Amino acid sequence: MKKVALFALVLVLSMSFVTAAGTKEAAKDGKVVLTAYMQIDPANDQYAGHNAVMAAFAEKYPNIQLDIEYASGEAFHQKFQSMAASKKIPDLFTCYGGARTAYVTETGLTLDLTPYLDDAFKGQFASATWLPQGSAGALYMVPPSFAVCHSIYANTAILDKLGLSYPETFEQLVAQIPTIRAAGYYPMSMGNKDPWVVNSWLLGTFIERFGGREWILKAAKGEASFTDAPFVKALEVIQAMSKEGLFSPGVNQMSNTEADQEFYQQKSVYLIDAAWRTSAMDSQLPEAQRKAIDMRVFPALPGEKYHNTSSAVASEGFGIAKAVEKDQAKLDAALAFVKFYAGEEGASIRAQFGEVPSYNLDLNKFAVDVMQGKFVEFSATYPMGYVFDSIMDGEGVNLLNTDLQAMMMGNGNPKDIAAKYEAWVAKNDSNRD
Amino acid sequence: MPRLNKRSSYYVLLLPALLIYLAIIIFPIFMSLGLSFTEWRRFRMTGFIGLGNYMDILSDPVFHRSLWNNIQIMLISVLGQIPLGILLAYLLHRKWVKGTKFFEFMIFLPITISSVVIALLWNRVFSPVGIYTTFVRMITSNPDYVVRIFESEKFAMLPVLVVLLWQHTSLYMVIFLANLQRIPSSVFEAAVIDGAKETTIITKIVLPALSPVIFTCSVLAISGSLKSFDLVYAMTAGGPVNYTYVMALYLYQHTFTFHNYGKGSAVSIIIVILSVGLISLVRGIYAKAQKKFE
Repeated sequence: MKKVALFALVLVLSMSFVTAAGTKEAAKDGKVVLTAYMQIDPANDQYAGHNAVMAAFAEKYPNIQLDIEYASGEAFHQKFQSMAASKKIPDLFTCYGGARTAYVTETGLTLDLTPYLDDAFKGQFASATWLPQGSAGALYMVPPSFAVCHSIYANTAILDKLGLSYPETFEQLVAQIPTIRAAGYYPMSMGNKDPWVVNSWLLGTFIERFGGREWILKAAKGEASFTDAPFVKALEVIQAMSKEGLFSPGVNQMSNTEADQEFYQQKSVYLIDAAWRTSAMDSQLPEAQRKAIDMRVFPALPGEKYHNTSSAVASEGFGIAKAVEKDQAKLDAALAFVKFYAGEEGASIRAQFGEVPSYNLDLNKFAVDVMQGKFVEFSATYPMGYVFDSIMDGEGVNLLNTDLQAMMMGNGNPKDIAAKYEAWVAKNDSNRD
Repeated sequence: MPRLNKRSSYYVLLLPALLIYLAIIIFPIFMSLGLSFTEWRRFRMTGFIGLGNYMDILSDPVFHRSLWNNIQIMLISVLGQIPLGILLAYLLHRKWVKGTKFFEFMIFLPITISSVVIALLWNRVFSPVGIYTTFVRMITSNPDYVVRIFESEKFAMLPVLVVLLWQHTSLYMVIFLANLQRIPSSVFEAAVIDGAKETTIITKIVLPALSPVIFTCSVLAISGSLKSFDLVYAMTAGGPVNYTYVMALYLYQHTFTFHNYGKGSAVSIIIVILSVGLISLVRGIYAKAQKKFE
């Protein structure tokens, strides 16, 4: 009896293995299967455009099957780093142009797309799309759009009520504080509990205003110093903003989401945030409130050389594993996906959801939501500079951010912070290698 | 087929467990030790630097602060959670309060909630837009009010310590309560008939009877304190500035954010050395205390 039972068990297990193997083969039958790992949350409104592109791609290329695993935030990087360490990465994956995914781009695991992108294709994109990525100047992904990291959202309904208008200069902004506070509002919401916020959304723009794009690159390479005026002056503005009481109380305890909520609840007049917050505003705020929100850049700083600038960095796209190069069918399929997503078809779909693609499109023909429309106009109006923390090494930036937060709480001064940062960069930053 | 003698068969039976232990415990420790002497740049090992990582870490003010914060967590665990756990267990065991089952449940509740949930709840209440802050602003008519202790270099750890005390005391209370229930009630009754005061009962009966458990709990508390991560990460992420940094966060950041696996490994080795050292110290104190009770 026992032997019969054992035989039956072995038989059932064998059949299940055969069936499982058959299923896998069936999936491959006539299709090219690509594994993908994407830093995307498909359930989030922000990625509605992405979902639409994926559906369109599946329809156009029924012979390409994408087996996608999604992860968001830090969890994406933690798992991806483990994959990179074991040198087993998926065929397609979210990839950054800067150092954020350097663990796959700087370790020879990512395919350089340069030979696969001809001039006819490249010519259809904004020129900034093709800035070199990584230390060797390779192109690891095609940025589908640009992440605009500096924007000031102004509640014009409150400004009108108080008899104020958007300030032209920093001095005018500071002069508004007593009126705003007397009316029971906070001047500016910003959530700097995670200290990278002040760096990503203000510091880069301020440095750009004082020194220009070239200066940042020179300082990174050591041809200029972070103890020079553009950097120190930028820090001084942030210190002045804290001292003058521009930020809401507890700015360094407040998360980014909490700062947004403070502005959405109309407790503050201005919000410092990235430009991609527009999609959340469109989904969360009533139309009348959205219509009353203006998207601007920070007012003119005393002594600035460059005016009305914001800052932007090429947004993350999709990289292809170097190993895919060995399989022509897979390589063709992966390139088809990358070109579809960033190219005309993907860009047109994403534009319908308010994204400003890197691909050159006439955006006027797309009907978009209120805030997304303002974002399109914002992108066309203001010149974009570098995002500071996308250029410099993370460890030094982290050190700087911590010092910036301390300075905003009254501990530390711009010159000392600049000297400390320059010393760190000179000794450790990979830009100075 | 030759038969194994008894001793050899023990070794054969032990072998699978030993191999697994070597593979997943001992090998990573030695691997980590080896890595701690290496330098990493741009995701690659660039060479052997001897004690360079250790020198770097031991001269880094952020690590000093992290270590001090871990010491504070350890002190609150060993000198706060354990004594409070004994006290609560004793109160409930002697039934000095009514509704002991209700209190047992209420006190045990925090340990059943995830640290991340506790941290988020805490933040929701005390953040600048939280319920508590909004309420205080309303009743004091001070729109600038925020809980400033979170920004204090000296006291920013205090809220974390309070939460840790609240959350983990319950676990120790349950352990001590279970062990108190093993002491025959006739012992307490006899002591009371003999006219022993409560302090005498505690010092002469309860503490000696619980001493092995206190030792075990101390080991758990010390090792748990030195590797504290989840609550601190979710509650403050080490901030503001680095006022609430702990060693596990320092390790995490250098390993997974800055990709300096050498430095991260060195921190892990320091944590292991500290854990083993402190647990040995507690073992010594326990041995002395045992002799005294005997």
